[in-house]
Amino acid sequence: MASTANSLRLCLRTSRQTSSAVSPLLRRALSTTTARCGMPGNTSYLTPTGVTKSEIPFYNQTFQDPSEYLQTVLKDASASPRDKQRAQQMLKAWEEIPIDQKRELQQLTKDAQNEMVPLRRHMRTRPTQFWSAHEQDPDLITDEIGEDDFEEDDIMAGAHGKLEEHREYREYARIAVWEMPLLANFAKKFEPPAEGEVLRFRYTSYMGEFHPADRKVVVEFCPRDLDLTEAQQLKLCKLAGSRYNPEKETIKMSCERFEHQAQNKRYLGDLIAKMITTAKDPTDTFEDIPLDTRHYKKKKNQISFPKEWYMTPERKAELEAQRKRSLMIDTQKRARHELVDGVQMIEAGIAEMEPVEELVAVKRGKAPAARPLRR
Amino acid sequence: MSAPNCLRCLGRRPSTATTVTAAGRCAPFSTTAVNGNVPMRAKTPNPMAKEIGFRSGARLTIKKKKVNHNEGKAPAPGERKAYRKKIVLSNDNALPVPWLKNMNAEHLASPQSAGKVLSLPSELQDQLRASEAFQPSQNWGFFRKPSTLVRTETVDLVTRMQDSASEKKTLRLVVTGSKLVGKSTMLLQAMAHAYLNGWIVIHIPDAQELVNASTEYGRIPETEPTQYMQPAYALKLLQAIKKANEKVLAKINTVSSHPELPQNIPVNTPLLTLVNAAKEAEGAWPVFHALWSELTNPNANRPPVLFSLDGLSHIMKMSEYRSPSFELIHAHDLAFVRLFNDVLSGNLKFPNGGAVLASTSRSNAPRSPSMEISLAQRKAEQAGAAPEELPKKEPYFKGYDDRVEAVLKSVEVMEVKGLTKPEARSIMEYWAASGMLRAAVDERTVSEKWTLAGNGVLGELERASLLTMKYF
Repeated sequence: MASTANSLRLCLRTSRQTSSAVSPLLRRALSTTTARCGMPGNTSYLTPTGVTKSEIPFYNQTFQDPSEYLQTVLKDASASPRDKQRAQQMLKAWEEIPIDQKRELQQLTKDAQNEMVPLRRHMRTRPTQFWSAHEQDPDLITDEIGEDDFEEDDIMAGAHGKLEEHREYREYARIAVWEMPLLANFAKKFEPPAEGEVLRFRYTSYMGEFHPADRKVVVEFCPRDLDLTEAQQLKLCKLAGSRYNPEKETIKMSCERFEHQAQNKRYLGDLIAKMITTAKDPTDTFEDIPLDTRHYKKKKNQISFPKEWYMTPERKAELEAQRKRSLMIDTQKRARHELVDGVQMIEAGIAEMEPVEELVAVKRGKAPAARPLRR
Repeated sequence: MSAPNCLRCLGRRPSTATTVTAAGRCAPFSTTAVNGNVPMRAKTPNPMAKEIGFRSGARLTIKKKKVNHNEGKAPAPGERKAYRKKIVLSNDNALPVPWLKNMNAEHLASPQSAGKVLSLPSELQDQLRASEAFQPSQNWGFFRKPSTLVRTETVDLVTRMQDSASEKKTLRLVVTGSKLVGKSTMLLQAMAHAYLNGWIVIHIPDAQELVNASTEYGRIPETEPTQYMQPAYALKLLQAIKKANEKVLAKINTVSSHPELPQNIPVNTPLLTLVNAAKEAEGAWPVFHALWSELTNPNANRPPVLFSLDGLSHIMKMSEYRSPSFELIHAHDLAFVRLFNDVLSGNLKFPNGGAVLASTSRSNAPRSPSMEISLAQRKAEQAGAAPEELPKKEPYFKGYDDRVEAVLKSVEVMEVKGLTKPEARSIMEYWAASGMLRAAVDERTVSEKWTLAGNGVLGELERASLLTMKYF
């Protein structure tokens, strides 16, 4: 259970102190602390600058039982005579312990040590970790344990959440009112690119966070801005291949091959320089190869109305004249009774038709003479 | 778990078929079922099964409903097509339009008749009907008499035809334009002019019929590359030519004998007799060929010829016919198409002048990229564009066809556009006077419908005002 071990480790971390006092058992059997070197008589266990690790006694040394340690103390020249005396006593006492118990103790120590190894391992937060998976959420205001237990002495958890939300709103409102206007001090005036600045670079920033795309650099330029002849420009476009946009007449390239933005940008710069050099090379002008624009699909729904449709004063006057003319035509035709009206035509046509008597259904054969026809 | 013998079979006696067959006669390891002179047993109901009672007793039987398949009389063969292709040219319920005049030989060429509606005389109607110039999708059947609006484009086209005929040249022209704009009607008017002026008209009403493998075809011997004739279509076309051009063909005589024909056609026989020689599909192609050679004979005095075709893009691609090696035949290898293309490309000329007209179609037309680009180039050339400004072919597109481009290298292109407002007014007045448009035709109505019709596209104008009740 990693989480239990983790919490245990965190608890123990607070009391992490290497004892300076010499103890019969060098290490606590259940210690989760990483083994560190201890210099007897020295309270600071941090490696002092200037002292190499190899000079520190017991560095990287593990003792299997107390006697080993006591003997090193006895051999140590820097140890005080009192320490040495005590060590001598303890060594003597240790040797009196029956061999079974010693072995048992050794085994126990070993087992405990093995158990503790994964817990003692130092956990390092990796700075390059993308999603910061191990970062705790500081915004979490409830751990959802026992939050539904209401003890009649407080508002509900939801209400607390609402309050917290309100506080947050207010915090941002304060920022908006007091701090954001100060951003205006950092505003820079837009300067259009100068004559020589033909390359337009685009960088991506994720506000200090690590992101795999933040190294990407995109450059866009127009071959016409470069100091090239027509043929050279065309060759440059052909060299660019699918990076050429025939509608905007620009070349757009990107690079995210290298780890850092600056490297990518440098690469792009070098590449463009190389392309320009190749485009200027007169040995092969690529005249036999037509410019390939198959990669480019023109965007649909690009409605462009003809120029003649724009409402200019001249156009308005023209339309007005047209309307007047058509009105005149109608009036003249009406006066001469030449205006054709479909409805009137139909009515006149019906009126001209010879009236036909309504047809009546009659039974075939001889009609009975006496009876009248059934209508 | 399945038993080796089913329970029902247990009741029967074991089969003795194999024992009956003599063992020595069949192969010992044969996998073939033994059949042969096995005496068939009469099937007797098994008394055991009945006693045991398997599947005995009342059973549920579901009777099938009798479906009456004989629901009315099925249409006779060809009846559906005849209905689909039916052309109605008059409507007795429509009002006669008092100011309508019959078309005569000069009308279509005179600029005064531009913007007027003229009706087709009945003889011309028959001729046009014989050559299938009317199409079922056109709305002739709404009016008392079939009439057309003479447009400025019509006058222009007809004048050009007349000029080329008088100069003994061949006008080679492709009529293009957007959908429903009146391209086929333009052809009809050209044909009307030709008939009225005593031309000989050969019209292929739908080029699709030539290439979609719907009529029979055969190799023409001694042709390189191999050409293919379509005898059934040739017969149909000959009959149409005969019916439509009867008067003209009766007047002109042959100038050469045609020994390849089975019938004896001596010199100075009327062409009508030559055409009549084709009675069956079998000999129709040679007769057509003979007629063609007579018409294009430079030594004879012939009337001008109009050769027209509708649906150009069909013949500007691979046809659906297959060669003996099962490869698709290019449409230009079909003899009819080849003749047309020879004239259209200018390789062959009518000695006494004439015209070859082709119209593109927009409703049923396969894409022919070469044709599209060629026509666009010709149009740009006519507009006075420099050679480097012409529309260019896409360099990486593979669907172009050099043969098509060769044919359309020097044709004229006439783009039919929408009507002008006075023309629209004229035709709408005709509609209203026929009682088909229940509205006063004033400038407002005309302008409204004209705009609705996409700046006067004639077919759309009909849809907007005549066919308002029709569901498309």
